[in-house]
Amino acid sequence: MRGYLVKRIAVSLAILWIVATLNFVVFQVVSPIKPLAGIVDPKFTPEQKENLLNLYGLNDPLHVRYSKYVVNMFTWSFGLSFQTMRPVIEDLSWRLPVTVLLLGSALVATILVGIPMGILAGSRRGSKVDVATIGAGLFTWGVPIFFIQLLFMMFFCYYANLVFGFALFPIRGLYSVPPPTNPFAYMADVAWHLALPLITLVVGSFGSWALYTRNLLLDALTQDYVVTARAKGLSERTVLYRHAFRSTLPPIVTMITLSVPGIVTGAMITEWIFTIPGIGRWYLNSLMAADYPVIQSVLFIFAVLVIVANLVADLLYGVLDPRIRIGMRR
Amino acid sequence: MAWILSKDRRKIYIRKITGFWEEFRIKKIGMFGLVLLVLFFFTAIFAPWLTPYDPMAKTRVAQIFARPEWITIFPQFADLPTTQRLTPSWHVDESSPFIKGWGKTAGIEYEAETMENVELELTYEFPHSTLAPNEFFIGFTWKATEVQEVEYSLKLMISTPEEKSYRLWIQPNSQEAGGAETHIESVNPFLIMSLGYAPGTDNIGNIIFSQKGDYTFSLIVLFRPLSKNAAATLEFRDADVFLAGHVHGILGTDYVGSDVFSDLVYGTRVSLMIGLLAAIIGTSIGLLVGVVSGYLGGIVDEINMRIVDILICLPLLPLLLALVAIYGKSIFYIVLFIGIFGWQGLARVIRSQALSIRETAYIESAKASGASGFYIMIKHILPNVLPVAFASMVLAVPGAILFEAALSFLGFGDPRVPTWGKMLQYSFSFGGFVRMAWWWILPPGLAIIALCLAFVFVGHAFDDVVNPRLRRRR
Repeated sequence: MRGYLVKRIAVSLAILWIVATLNFVVFQVVSPIKPLAGIVDPKFTPEQKENLLNLYGLNDPLHVRYSKYVVNMFTWSFGLSFQTMRPVIEDLSWRLPVTVLLLGSALVATILVGIPMGILAGSRRGSKVDVATIGAGLFTWGVPIFFIQLLFMMFFCYYANLVFGFALFPIRGLYSVPPPTNPFAYMADVAWHLALPLITLVVGSFGSWALYTRNLLLDALTQDYVVTARAKGLSERTVLYRHAFRSTLPPIVTMITLSVPGIVTGAMITEWIFTIPGIGRWYLNSLMAADYPVIQSVLFIFAVLVIVANLVADLLYGVLDPRIRIGMRR
Repeated sequence: MAWILSKDRRKIYIRKITGFWEEFRIKKIGMFGLVLLVLFFFTAIFAPWLTPYDPMAKTRVAQIFARPEWITIFPQFADLPTTQRLTPSWHVDESSPFIKGWGKTAGIEYEAETMENVELELTYEFPHSTLAPNEFFIGFTWKATEVQEVEYSLKLMISTPEEKSYRLWIQPNSQEAGGAETHIESVNPFLIMSLGYAPGTDNIGNIIFSQKGDYTFSLIVLFRPLSKNAAATLEFRDADVFLAGHVHGILGTDYVGSDVFSDLVYGTRVSLMIGLLAAIIGTSIGLLVGVVSGYLGGIVDEINMRIVDILICLPLLPLLLALVAIYGKSIFYIVLFIGIFGWQGLARVIRSQALSIRETAYIESAKASGASGFYIMIKHILPNVLPVAFASMVLAVPGAILFEAALSFLGFGDPRVPTWGKMLQYSFSFGGFVRMAWWWILPPGLAIIALCLAFVFVGHAFDDVVNPRLRRRR
């Protein structure tokens, strides 16, 4: 088990290093937009320009810059932002929790809605729930989440404002201005602000989960061991949950990992639409200002998120699938 | 290439395709998708015939945020007017020796006889029987030539059925030749102030055209001779009055008053093109990598599969946004980037198929008869994996379309082409939501959904036919 873990972590670190290197090559070596192009004013004297370049270490030879960059990334200290001239980590430290809160709750809520629906559909094949699940799955394939979010925003904020005179959900931001002082009121306020983004993320993505679970369950229900279990006279409930659904868990866990990049993407557009100050919105703003240190850091963090999710899934896979668990023990 | 098209081969392919069509035809959902797709292709190809407006020109066709025209079937919108365009034809009440021509082009040839001031009036009367427009535009060209020893001034007045008169435009006293293309806009703050109203709060389109009845434009020309030799020639051409409609066309207008329907129709072209090209690029790379990897195995396979592992780990949208931001917001790069980052999944599937085909007896016999690796890959493996690749390509199209829509929506689309994502971006950023302009917000989103679902339906039906594993499950 330990040997496997060490090997797995080593591979993850290697992938992370490749991603970081690609990042460096794309932004600092081949990019047609020079670093600092966004902030250097033609009115600057050569001396001022020189000082700026020195401040960001851009005068060093490439290999020195590269090694500094890699060390920076892996020690979680991301250098200075071109735009604000403050360390990237300062902004990151309060933006990352916002995104993780949004991402995490969206993921959990989607799973909590999607998987039970899939089980229901799979266990009652041909029923209305089943048809609805297939519909929801197709819906997820063809409907951009940002359009769902725009629609919800149109109805619950703007249209409600026209009809009732007030918006049912806030249009932008993470908390009211000024934020409530009472910590419980503050939490409620944040929850109220995150409600619409969260609901729309769930509506836009639960269908694929439900359909995937349903298909896995249908596959499992035709297996011989399910027939055996039924023949033993076990209750349908036991057959469904202890035998059929149990065997679908490993692929579902894989699906969770594979969905993390998509969720990162979804969270980014969500933050853009609802003006939530997370790292997705920060990333978009930095892109428009060619703020390379921030862009590189955020891409790196996204990669870390995905790779950690992969790692966790692999380990969970081992816990969930007895064949792999025993194989690892040997 | 002759061996691909040899007669026997052709027969085999024709038989295969007919067989495939027989099986595909009975899939209801696939046929529904196919019909939708045909409609979209039709729209894309015949876009210039379906709409008279070029979406990139942003022609003003009605007031901003004009509702669709068909909304007038509902009673509460019944009396909303469409855009009215008038081409004034000037009329002269009292005959004057100086007015040489009237109608669409009015000409005045003035020659002083006495030292008296001469005032000439050209009028144009029109009935106005609808709700007042929120905006109006008046355009005309005037030209003064051969001006000698005379001071002239021009002004344009409008009088309402209530006998109220508004001065819309004035050309102050001048003694020189001149001329201009003149545009009078009801939203011009100087015009609003000169009429004694407050810009921003008062709408002079509403104020002037508040009555139903006969309105009169009068063009008043005043000559003040400075000597007995005074003479001048004046000409008015191309007069055009635009009373912006409250309703317009099939889908109303957007934030600058240009046609939404034409945006939607031309957007079909871009979405289809991006979706298909990106899917073709992605599928080609996936096919190549999959076949080579699966057939050759060994170190090549290992390297390819590690690249796939890394690509699967990357969050694509942030990466694409960065690449587009750096290398330029051009449709070419967008297609290319979506294509070259969209082959991982297919490469894995094709590889596993190629692996199993490699072990079959006929490959072994081909090898024994001295066929090269390239020949086997092209002639034996490729035809076998092609149907699966094609199904996967059809299913990759909606992904590419959604990707492009997201890029455009975030403001990283090509600014030179009209796309559905850009329509959503504009409606989101430029007041479509505040004004509840559902005719501007819903159509692009619904079009994206319809196009994507059409490809999904066709792709799934296709997959059902060509993918035996899925067929068994049904």
